[in-house]
Amino acid sequence: METGVAPVISLSPVRHRDDVVTGAGLLPVLPALRELLPGGGLQRGSVVTTGDWGLLSLALAAGAVADGAWCAIVGVPAAGVQAAAQAGLDPERVLLVAEPGPGWTQVVASLLDGFDIVLLRPPEQPSAQLRRKLEAAARRYGSVLVIAGDWPGAQSRLLVADAEWTGIGTGHGRLRARQAQVIASGRGAGERGRSAWLWLPGPDGAVTAAEPADVAGTRPHGGYSGTARADAGEPLVSSG
Amino acid sequence: MTSRTAAARRVLVLRCPAWLDSDRAGSDSVSSDGAGGGSSAARAFESVVTIAQDFCPQVEVLRPGVCAIAARGPARYFGGEAELARKLTEAVGRSGVICQAGIADGLFAAGLAARAGPTGLLVPPGETPEFLAGLPVGVLDIPELCELLPRLGIETLGQLAALPSAEAASRFGPPGKLASRLARGLDPRPLIPRPPAADLSVQLEFDPPAEQSEPAIFAAKALADQMHDRLAAAGLACVRVQVQVHCADGQELSRLWRHDGLLSALAVAERVRWQLDGWHGAAGITLLRLVPDQLVRATGRQLALWGDSVPSDRVARAAIRVQAMLGHDRVTRPVLAGGRRPADQVLLVPFGDTRAPQRPADRPWPDQIPAPAPATVFDVPLAASVTDDSGREVTVSGRAQLSAPPARLATAGGPARTVTAWAGPWPVTERWWDPRHARRQARFQLVTEDGTAWLAALQDGRWLIEASYD
Repeated sequence: METGVAPVISLSPVRHRDDVVTGAGLLPVLPALRELLPGGGLQRGSVVTTGDWGLLSLALAAGAVADGAWCAIVGVPAAGVQAAAQAGLDPERVLLVAEPGPGWTQVVASLLDGFDIVLLRPPEQPSAQLRRKLEAAARRYGSVLVIAGDWPGAQSRLLVADAEWTGIGTGHGRLRARQAQVIASGRGAGERGRSAWLWLPGPDGAVTAAEPADVAGTRPHGGYSGTARADAGEPLVSSG
Repeated sequence: MTSRTAAARRVLVLRCPAWLDSDRAGSDSVSSDGAGGGSSAARAFESVVTIAQDFCPQVEVLRPGVCAIAARGPARYFGGEAELARKLTEAVGRSGVICQAGIADGLFAAGLAARAGPTGLLVPPGETPEFLAGLPVGVLDIPELCELLPRLGIETLGQLAALPSAEAASRFGPPGKLASRLARGLDPRPLIPRPPAADLSVQLEFDPPAEQSEPAIFAAKALADQMHDRLAAAGLACVRVQVQVHCADGQELSRLWRHDGLLSALAVAERVRWQLDGWHGAAGITLLRLVPDQLVRATGRQLALWGDSVPSDRVARAAIRVQAMLGHDRVTRPVLAGGRRPADQVLLVPFGDTRAPQRPADRPWPDQIPAPAPATVFDVPLAASVTDDSGREVTVSGRAQLSAPPARLATAGGPARTVTAWAGPWPVTERWWDPRHARRQARFQLVTEDGTAWLAALQDGRWLIEASYD
């Protein structure tokens, strides 16, 4: 139906690179995640996947929410709000729709008009038609759809490739922090894979870049690595 | 009407302790059904309000569980104030709800009188200042003063009332002025003696009639915005707002809600929702009207400098639209609460409701899991099985002795995974003073071969997965 005036989007040079609307800005992300995303942020109107639900999904929204954006979490009844808060995602600006029901695509489309970021774990694999409908809604309202799961046609895909918990041994210590390698791939031609080592989460629950030095050492299986020492007999209680 | 006659206004407050308690219990439980407690309580309270309406057509709902009527007229009709209170509590009691009725001069004193005894208290006309004089300043429920005044040696309302009003206002600001008025048995703010020249009510007609309540609730927010704009333009605030709903069958449903110039447009829309949900089976709605009642001069409302996350209109509209699709309770905002289990640390409040957690997060919670927090928290823990090398279930003795190191973890319906690292047990004893909520657990953290970490607990001989760190 490309008669008369062609849609602006097809003329835009941005389409070539990121396939998103022109003029729409970037939503900021946590500093540690910047190098994983083209442009250093979440492109408005785009779809990003994070693999299975986890802290990475929450961390991806944290930077924008800290900047004043609102975030809706759909289809994740077990979302850890405390973890979100520790990762920097302010629960005050979060809306939870734990069970979006059979009409979940309509729910997500409505939320995209209003919320800057929608974190979605699809209750079922959507058809290509429904996917296109939601992608169009994200583009129209300039929101970002973050998918915990699979989404053919996503502009960016992040994946936790390798992860190791530190601080816990066999019968001693406790979970302190997790070093994770996150690999990002894009859809556009010439988009080369990016990867970064993160504390996902760090000892205080925050998501930060892991220094190469933290990662370099040997990471024995079932053991713990250098930075966080496991102390035998330490109680699992907060001092507060 | 001068402030003197306003002060002499006799008010009956009807209070249903069971509702207030159940509301509290609702906020105590963190499950999704508990989160809906506030508004569902509001709906159920409708039945009590309907009974009160038989005694006086103008019933003002202060909050779910508490409502007020002007006592003077009905008292004359029913043979005295004592008789009115007795008949009203009996009528409500017949519907299976225990309630207290208090009568005094002014709303504040009447509310306290209702709480004063098992069935409430009748404070004779003119004796309200004496009744109030003996009460501690804590009953004012003004947080910034309740701590300060006792430190200054002002322990009772009587001592506060003895201070000159102007002094209280200049020393403590607007809260002090309010406290001083309340302590002397006056209404919080003097009523404006003349009726406003312009009609400040707003309305919307539905043609064709709205068959469901959702469109009316949706419209109510815009109407409330309009009403607030008009009030603000006139420099006024309303103490109460009357919600009038006209139905296609000619029925007119009207209800007064406490406003005090504090309700947001969203909160007004929420009250319209409660009102419509309470009236089941009404025919299609043809008209919705909001009438500001009891106008007072607007003194302004101070928003918190930081941390007041007020949803923008765009956000609120999207949330309300989804609520219209799924139901009010299924669209929630999380509030961090205190608790030892990860699932206890979040309270889900339906969008548009306000609820402070009963267990605040900023108190010490010994045995709380230290950071980092798990990214997945199961509201209902998953059943699991943790076995040792020989395949036997791992147990913990009363002295926290482990039968054998855990070697494999299998969640219900999931594959068995090899445990690569683990720590525990950490015994947790919760609420031992309350047999209904008491819980003894031995807590573990387990890491499995796939790199996932789990928060597991052994309780009553059963393994549970409470959360996972992924």
